[in-house]
Amino acid sequence: MKVLELTHVNKIYNSTEVKVHAVNEVTLDFMEAEFTCIVGPSGSGKTTLLNLIGGLDMPTSGEIVIGGTNLSKLKSSQLIDFRLNNIGFVFQSYNLIPVLTSLENVEFILLLQKKTKAERQQRAIELLTQVGLGDKLHKRPGELSGGEQQRVAVARALASRPRFILADEPTANLDTKSTENLLEIMEKLNHEESMTFIFSTHDARVVNKAHRVITIEDGGVKSDLVQQPH
Amino acid sequence: MKEEFKIAWRNLWRNRRRTLITSASVFFAVFFAVIMRSYQLGSYDHMINNFIESFTGSLQVQHEKYQDNPLLDYSFDYTDSTEAAILGVEDVVSVTPHLESFTLVSSGTLTKGVAVIAIDPVREKNFSDPETKLVKYRITEDAVKGLNDSGTVPEDVLEKVKGNLGRAYSSLARLELELDLDNDDGERFIPEILKWTEVPNGYLAQDDDGILVSDRLASYLKVGVGDSVILMGQGYHGVSANGIFPVRGIIKMPSPDIDNKLIIMTIPAAQKFFDAEGKITSLVVNLTDQSNRLIKTAKSRINLLLKDKSITARTWYELNPILYQQIQGDSQSGVAMLGILYFIIFFGIFGTVLMMVSERKREFGVLVAIGMQRNKLKRIVTTEMMLLGAIGLVFGLLASVPLIMYFHYFPIILKGDLANMMEDWGWDAVMPTAWFGPYFYWQAVVVGLMVVLATIYPLRKIGRLKEIEALKG
Repeated sequence: MKVLELTHVNKIYNSTEVKVHAVNEVTLDFMEAEFTCIVGPSGSGKTTLLNLIGGLDMPTSGEIVIGGTNLSKLKSSQLIDFRLNNIGFVFQSYNLIPVLTSLENVEFILLLQKKTKAERQQRAIELLTQVGLGDKLHKRPGELSGGEQQRVAVARALASRPRFILADEPTANLDTKSTENLLEIMEKLNHEESMTFIFSTHDARVVNKAHRVITIEDGGVKSDLVQQPH
Repeated sequence: MKEEFKIAWRNLWRNRRRTLITSASVFFAVFFAVIMRSYQLGSYDHMINNFIESFTGSLQVQHEKYQDNPLLDYSFDYTDSTEAAILGVEDVVSVTPHLESFTLVSSGTLTKGVAVIAIDPVREKNFSDPETKLVKYRITEDAVKGLNDSGTVPEDVLEKVKGNLGRAYSSLARLELELDLDNDDGERFIPEILKWTEVPNGYLAQDDDGILVSDRLASYLKVGVGDSVILMGQGYHGVSANGIFPVRGIIKMPSPDIDNKLIIMTIPAAQKFFDAEGKITSLVVNLTDQSNRLIKTAKSRINLLLKDKSITARTWYELNPILYQQIQGDSQSGVAMLGILYFIIFFGIFGTVLMMVSERKREFGVLVAIGMQRNKLKRIVTTEMMLLGAIGLVFGLLASVPLIMYFHYFPIILKGDLANMMEDWGWDAVMPTAWFGPYFYWQAVVVGLMVVLATIYPLRKIGRLKEIEALKG
């Protein structure tokens, strides 16, 4: 089942003297439970594409449809609610709320969804246990390692039961062990929860785990390959 | 809401030192503003009460033209029925007749223009009570020499006595305070000091033909109890008024300006002197308290009672517009000072807000990106700012409470040069604090406004936040 469709998507920045065509005529479909990696050199348009998919930015032309909803048609506040209920974000630098514990960070998304306290706690503990942080529920981000923080970020992204998770270079700040650990967890969640993951990365280890690798160059799709993860 | 409060509270302590510094600036601003204002308003109250109790009363019933032309020609007939009717008005405590005029006083070659207030010596005790103002102790050169020669007090005590040379006191407590002796020295040497400083004095009998002279005026005229002075002036309807009056007593008035030019005599003596038989110039009315609301109500009720429409009631501030305006002007300058203080503190708060917004721009972006509505984020930031202001405000107010209470009941009594200087300006050298009133609660409003103003900036930033730009940091 399609979770996401991009049709002739363009993003042009006019703010500088020279027009920058950051995303150029991209047409892509993403299916449920895909584990997709977007690769490309720096400045190729990976992050811009992810921002457009995540509804953080609007395309200059073209359509982005998620579960039948065209993002361009939504007002700003509707878009925020849409993101809350449909998209999970994992950022390169974790971006947890520093004053909240791991449990509260994960619960926070559910709080925004107006879930009851019992529902919030149950789901947050379950997810944090799944990512191997069942013993660090009450630690604040400052008390966790980078890898642990990124695992909390993954749990937070999953908490709202989104249609897919967008991860912008999630392993860029992690060491080898933490990277492997995080990838294992995400693979497991991909299998167990049929969760769609879309990454942008430079990291070969991440690319090797992907089922599908989309290469972007100069804002356009250069290749779109399905592969056997290894 | 609870969660928003929790996040706001924790955010506040994210940078503990900065929060403490900002809260401390609000704390000190509130604390000093409250204390300064309390002293200022307390001093005004004290001054007004002094004036009311010593002179004007809360209200005076006068001829309508007497205020602009304080001539005996605008006196009126004193009747018991008018007085009884006014006494029946709610909240009126006492009604005291006065006959007031101006004249020249002369002793030897010295002459001075003075105010004459004629009173009923017994009933006046319910109002200004001049008997309590009689000078009981005076530190003269003779007294200092006598003490020195007697050898009964040590050098340091003698020095303190010399330090107050020329001063007169109506009470032992004030003398003890000015001498500033420790307990032991006080117990041992005060009786000896009193032997040399105590002065004979006297009050007026009901139909006395003598006068009381204010202390500074007596010093100027070089007269004392038992001496006589000559009064010369103009009486009722322009008659010539002349007389010789024995000095029965010397009184010390709290206001130096008044202390320089006051003579008190009995109403019958004054009526005879001014040839104003049966006349008075005012009925002084005292109320249970001096609030403006009560004074205004009493004024209208009394005016309704007065049958002769040329006679009218006037409030103390109508009688003393200059004093009232001085107080208002001084009060406004005090408010301006507080405004400057708060203006400076505002920029301290605003500095914190600028840093906070700059530091957390990325975080705001993340929160909106993951699904937090901007309005919710605004509520959290507003709560955070309110808490920041509230901490300083609450502690500032709490810290000022015991000081205000203490100095309200035990006001600072100034001594030495500062006291003399204040008295020269016409101010009583006592500094009480005002009891809690609107000035106290207004601090909360001011701090609240400062916080609201400072919060506008982050709220606008959040309103205009572009997730992409914010996420870049």
